[in-house]
Amino acid sequence: MAVLKVTDLHARYSAKGPEILKGISFEVEENDFFAIIGPSGAGKSTLIRCINRLVEPTSGSIVFDGREITTLSHVELRRQRRDIGMIFQEFNLVNRMSVMDNVLSGRLGYTSNLRTLFRAFPREDIDHALALLDRVGLIDHVDKRADQLSGGQRQRVGIARALMQDPKLMLLDEPTSALDPKISREVMELIKEMAQELKVPCLCNIHDVKLATECCNKIIGLQDGVTMFSGLTGDMNEEKLGEIYAMEVL
Amino acid sequence: MTSFSANPALSRVADRVQDNRRRSRYISGALTVALTIMVAWSVDVTVIQDTDWERIGSVANVWEATSHFIGLDLELFPDLLVPAIETLLIACLGTAFGLILCIPAAWFGAMNITPYAPITYPLARLMMTLSRSIHEIVWALFFVAVVGLGAMAGVLAIAVRSVGFIAKMTAEAIEDIDYGPVEAIKAVGGSNFQVIVYAILPQVLPQIVSVVIFEWEINIRRSAILGLVGAGGLGLVFFRQMNTFNYHGVTSVIVAILIIILLGEAISYFVRRRMI
Repeated sequence: MAVLKVTDLHARYSAKGPEILKGISFEVEENDFFAIIGPSGAGKSTLIRCINRLVEPTSGSIVFDGREITTLSHVELRRQRRDIGMIFQEFNLVNRMSVMDNVLSGRLGYTSNLRTLFRAFPREDIDHALALLDRVGLIDHVDKRADQLSGGQRQRVGIARALMQDPKLMLLDEPTSALDPKISREVMELIKEMAQELKVPCLCNIHDVKLATECCNKIIGLQDGVTMFSGLTGDMNEEKLGEIYAMEVL
Repeated sequence: MTSFSANPALSRVADRVQDNRRRSRYISGALTVALTIMVAWSVDVTVIQDTDWERIGSVANVWEATSHFIGLDLELFPDLLVPAIETLLIACLGTAFGLILCIPAAWFGAMNITPYAPITYPLARLMMTLSRSIHEIVWALFFVAVVGLGAMAGVLAIAVRSVGFIAKMTAEAIEDIDYGPVEAIKAVGGSNFQVIVYAILPQVLPQIVSVVIFEWEINIRRSAILGLVGAGGLGLVFFRQMNTFNYHGVTSVIVAILIIILLGEAISYFVRRRMI
């Protein structure tokens, strides 16, 4: 059964504005590492933000874990978001907080307001965070402030924060675009390894096509909000890539 | 020269330019005359007619009156210790209480997090404007009428008077935050409260601390004079010395006020420098 099923998804930011997504459909299954590729402005970020409704879709259906996401109330949506981890292009860490506090923030969906105020997380959360930090190679940086880390290290904090949620799906929004090519590859491989270990399917925006074909088993290619390609990575070829990126060539 | 006046088009332009220049000369001349009359009239009404010239008397009398204030009433100083501490405490408590009042004002007054913009935003702006446009002495008079004479009225006046500036600066800092962390906390399933505590507050905290210290320093000045209307502190002693014509005592109080203000400035300077 598909973990995530998106059907005929449309989105626009304002009633008069242009339509960013023009009827996107796809399915993410267990163990998938699903890439969304396409030129800048194709709607990749909008699409991925529609999944956890950081952007509200205008119509269409998103079924995650057997539940329709688009009609959830505010409270139900928050509960559902706890099962969806997200990793961001610009890391989106709270710079003035420690690495530990940033990783622990992945548990906020399970934490009461009073505990949040005093940052008093239960012991098991702290153990879990330390295990994740150890796994991503940051065990020596636990007490540092997030802004003291390098780009690659910060994204590792982002990965640990997302996995802290014990997610059933990971959304990756250009996780390596702010990093240099070598670090990009390391970070991408780390994400892939951990996703496999923890059996979390991933949906990943990426504009590095080479990296996408290496890491992902399925690809959807967007251009101007329309699906240009959808299928297994093996079915992707130069000609189809040319179509997807045609706008950039022009 | 003749060639210009021979050109009728240019000549018309020259006429218009000359007219304009003449007119602006008339206008500025008329404004100068009007301004002079207004100043002369103001001086006549407010200074010449309104002053008791017989009371001032000669230059020698003025000097004598001034010299009353030169010199200190040293015996008064031990009695100033408690009011001076009270003044400092009024400033501290007033600032702290003001900070609590700022929480709703800053929260409602930041366009990006205000709960329901059409109502809460104007409400916050109204709070800030009221706080700042009414003088602290007037606030103190109001609170003396409400809670009676004493330091409590001073604390309330300082608190209410502090809200405007602290809340305005905080709200503006909140409007300028980086949205990345906000998005991240929303994505993990965080509530609005958690977004504020975890993603917004850490970003604006340094600015809040800086503004609060600045306001605290100003509040020491404010609380030093609030006693004039019976709201406790050094101002009350000042008022009493003035009423008993103990002019050296008045100077002593002024010196005491000066000392605690300098103290406040020094503390504020060092704390802010260490923070930055």
